[in-house]
Amino acid sequence: MFRRLFIANRGEVAVRVARAARSLGISPICAVSEADRLAPWALAMDEVVCLGPGNPERSYLRAEATVQAALQTGCAAVHPGWGFLAENARFAALCQQHGLTFIGPSPALIDSMGLKWPSKQAARAAGLTLIPGSEGLLRDVDEAIQVAARVGYPVMVKADAGGGGRGMRHCSNEEELRQGFAQASAEATAAFGNGDLFLEKCLENGRHIEVQILGDRWGNVLHLFERECSIQRKHQKLIEESPSPALNNQQRQDLGRAAAQAAAAMNYVGAGTIEFLMDAKTGSLHFMEMNTRLQVEHGISECVTGIDIVREQIRVSAGEKLETQQADVSLQGHAIECRINAEDPNHDFRPTPGKLTQFEIPDNLGPGTVRVDTHVQQGDTIPPHYDSLMAKIIAHGKDRPEALETMRRALDGLQIEGVTSTTPLHQAVLISDEFQSGTYNTGSLPGWTPKR
Amino acid sequence: MAHIPLTPLGSPVDQALDPKTFARQAASVAERELTLAERRKKVSEGWGTKYADRVHAKNKLTSRERIARLADEGTEVFEVGTFVNHGVSFGKLASPAAGVVTAFVKISERWTMVIANDNTVASGSWWPQTPEKIERAQEMAKRLGIPAVYLVDCSGLFLPEQARSFPGRTGAGHIFKKNAELSAAGVPQIAGVFGDCIAGGGYMPIISDRVFMTEQAYMVIAGAALIKGAKSQKLSSLDIGGPEVHVHQSGCADVRLPDDETALQAIREEVAKLPSSGAEYHRHGMEASAPFHDAAELTGLLPADHRVTYKIEEVLARLVDRSMFWEVLPDRGQEIIVGIGRVNGLYMGFAANRGGLIDDAEVRGAQKPGGILYREGIAKLTTFRRSCEDDGIPMVWLQDVSGFDIGVEAERVGLLGYGSSLIYANSTAKAPMFTVLLRKASGAGYYAMAGMPYEPVVQLSTTLTRLAVMEGRTLAIAAFNTKLDDEFEIAVEDPEEAAAIEAGMKATEERIEADMDPYSAASQMDTDEIVRLDELRAWIELFAETSYQSNTTRRTKNPRIWSLHDLAALTEPHR
Repeated sequence: MFRRLFIANRGEVAVRVARAARSLGISPICAVSEADRLAPWALAMDEVVCLGPGNPERSYLRAEATVQAALQTGCAAVHPGWGFLAENARFAALCQQHGLTFIGPSPALIDSMGLKWPSKQAARAAGLTLIPGSEGLLRDVDEAIQVAARVGYPVMVKADAGGGGRGMRHCSNEEELRQGFAQASAEATAAFGNGDLFLEKCLENGRHIEVQILGDRWGNVLHLFERECSIQRKHQKLIEESPSPALNNQQRQDLGRAAAQAAAAMNYVGAGTIEFLMDAKTGSLHFMEMNTRLQVEHGISECVTGIDIVREQIRVSAGEKLETQQADVSLQGHAIECRINAEDPNHDFRPTPGKLTQFEIPDNLGPGTVRVDTHVQQGDTIPPHYDSLMAKIIAHGKDRPEALETMRRALDGLQIEGVTSTTPLHQAVLISDEFQSGTYNTGSLPGWTPKR
Repeated sequence: MAHIPLTPLGSPVDQALDPKTFARQAASVAERELTLAERRKKVSEGWGTKYADRVHAKNKLTSRERIARLADEGTEVFEVGTFVNHGVSFGKLASPAAGVVTAFVKISERWTMVIANDNTVASGSWWPQTPEKIERAQEMAKRLGIPAVYLVDCSGLFLPEQARSFPGRTGAGHIFKKNAELSAAGVPQIAGVFGDCIAGGGYMPIISDRVFMTEQAYMVIAGAALIKGAKSQKLSSLDIGGPEVHVHQSGCADVRLPDDETALQAIREEVAKLPSSGAEYHRHGMEASAPFHDAAELTGLLPADHRVTYKIEEVLARLVDRSMFWEVLPDRGQEIIVGIGRVNGLYMGFAANRGGLIDDAEVRGAQKPGGILYREGIAKLTTFRRSCEDDGIPMVWLQDVSGFDIGVEAERVGLLGYGSSLIYANSTAKAPMFTVLLRKASGAGYYAMAGMPYEPVVQLSTTLTRLAVMEGRTLAIAAFNTKLDDEFEIAVEDPEEAAAIEAGMKATEERIEADMDPYSAASQMDTDEIVRLDELRAWIELFAETSYQSNTTRRTKNPRIWSLHDLAALTEPHR
């Protein structure tokens, strides 16, 4: 097992990885920026290496400096967390070239899953259903129109190299498609240097359901059932839960098995998530994309299965076999997560960094258990350069109602001052009829309207 | 430390070069590459559709069609010697591609060298330079240890020109000597016999390990036309030397098959019995990956005007996997860049010229012109070459060189000696090396950097290549030196004489300019192939895959114990 692990990330995920590392007897060393150097969570690491100023381009995104830092501190492996360099195939190759074990899949797999169309091809070859649409990249707008006529409007044109919602256009008819095609391609070329587009039927008001996968290099693959992440704002997840209220037990087993088989077909090693979109009308589940990294919401899967995903990530990277077999993975109860961000939900979710004059999250109000994943404490200053996630509250109950009640109490008892937080939004969503009945979808944030 | 510390190289194209210049350069190259495409197409038509139709009428395939069927689906065929005999007339006749197609073809997952007589050009007969072209292809197969596949459909020598193709040291008979050499070296040879194979054509397949004949094929030392009594006995060449005779009676062929298609299928199955490629073993756990900066951008990165410089790092970045490179000895001899990159995950050595201004090691703070060779650059090349030889790393030479440094200092320092050391290293090395003439390939520089006389396995030219002993202007200066002053300006009073000298110099330059045409070089086999800039990466992938395919013919050290590590350890600055 590695003796020293370099964490190429910050904040909440760095804390999470450090915890898993220590559970394996590994000493965690963390990259920090100047903005993070003196944060209590950084000081709690065994060592830190300062890579540069707060701006991530000059610190956390510096691939060669990260590798150098890891080598100089005698680390054997690098954990990229999520975001930053986590899905950067070149960084993974750089680590490999310099003798560092990159905690994640191979550079080639990161590459193929990083482009929309190659990942769809791989998924289809592995037996998953795709969203109806073009067969590969579109030659020109005329082909787009042909495909749209076949699958039916509304459609989405999407950039192959796209992400974060860019290079995409929603088109309800042929004229919008003509315009949208040109716009999406131009936007993608500008943003990603690659204007290739494909087309998908737009499954409106679908549900975002994803399956957590773990694989080792000995061919063992596990799924940890599904998570529902349909509560989103501008493609950013806000509330997640496991299992999904949209699936019955049979669908759950089938989906998990399909995802695990797909991962096995790709020889997937490490932790990954296969994302699906459920068609509101037919209930069918369509492959969207695969994320080859740890996800923010991994904690809810850990609660309901009892498996430490990050610990397993590290173990399989060291060549060990997965600790559990699929037959021994079962769902225990229900878990819900709320992402508490330092944002103002009443002002278009504008980030509000600042000093946390008060930060208390009660975790003992019952009836179920509460797990709080955070890197901040009262008195900390939230720096401006990074995402605004302060804490993840996970409520675990013996069933969904108990989990809901547990979360309600925790949110009610939350005390955050000094920055605005998204708590009011979470509270409103949680008590909404759609969320209570489990019939919500990606179409809207149920129960929430801004105050202004 | 025994890691191979590749690090990112190059920048995105809009940072490497301003878009206007890029567009202008790309357009200039595109124009030349259009000509290339047109000429390739012309060659591939052989003697024209009339002849192709004749072949089809006999229920046979043309040689290019045969090659297309042999190749694995979705793979590219890499032809060499396309322009041999380009622009040469034999009376009223031309011999496109010298009447034979030689190409790297992937068959059943194994790279092979296919040598196929062009049955649409004088029934596949041999012109002047046809034997040399075939021998060159055989040599490539031998050096790489990859199988040679002969698609024989050859009526012997093109008789009107026999004096130039029969008797000499490299004449047709030498093809069979090379057959023998390949066999002796353990290189598999497979022959398919598809048509009239007379005299030399009859001999071509025999030394091969497996010989397949179609029902229409015959092999004869001499055709029925020369056999007494053949007419009255109504004997045809097929009767004398068809499959009935050679498969069953003489044993000169192994298998008879009904037609072209079946024969090609049988050849594919035969190749599949050969050992699979060793390349996978030598990828050392890293899969093939494209360069991070798009190789297609090479089209706009090289200026057509050879006096304008560019950043060689940007070219190199677009030839190696993920645009990652380990530059060895970066601080010395900066007119040269050497180092290691992965190509499809396979380690390859690269040596390239750096143009523009470089630091003058002797005079602190001063700079001197790159693009030529000084002492340290030459020594760096020699040392790197020797390491690659020792370590079994295949090398790619990227030439854009005007020559050596000249003058008092250059001679005093002994560049003649340093250059000779490099020549010795290249001449005695066994590890595969490949040369690409990116742009200038001039004089001693062309020799030093493993030009054709040093027998690289393959030499490529681009449409920008200028190959000559010196640039036209230099030669003109040398020829008219007595009439020029210290600055090489015309130093003659009489205006008429001055005008004559100017005209003379101009004529000299133009003649050299014509000599430098890459198609002239290709026609004479002074270079193996002319390629588009955006094809370079694919060719280098071919070089890598073929270098590592055969596991047994050469030594290949595992990267941990490369001598390059010792070199790096001794030359990297102390912390």
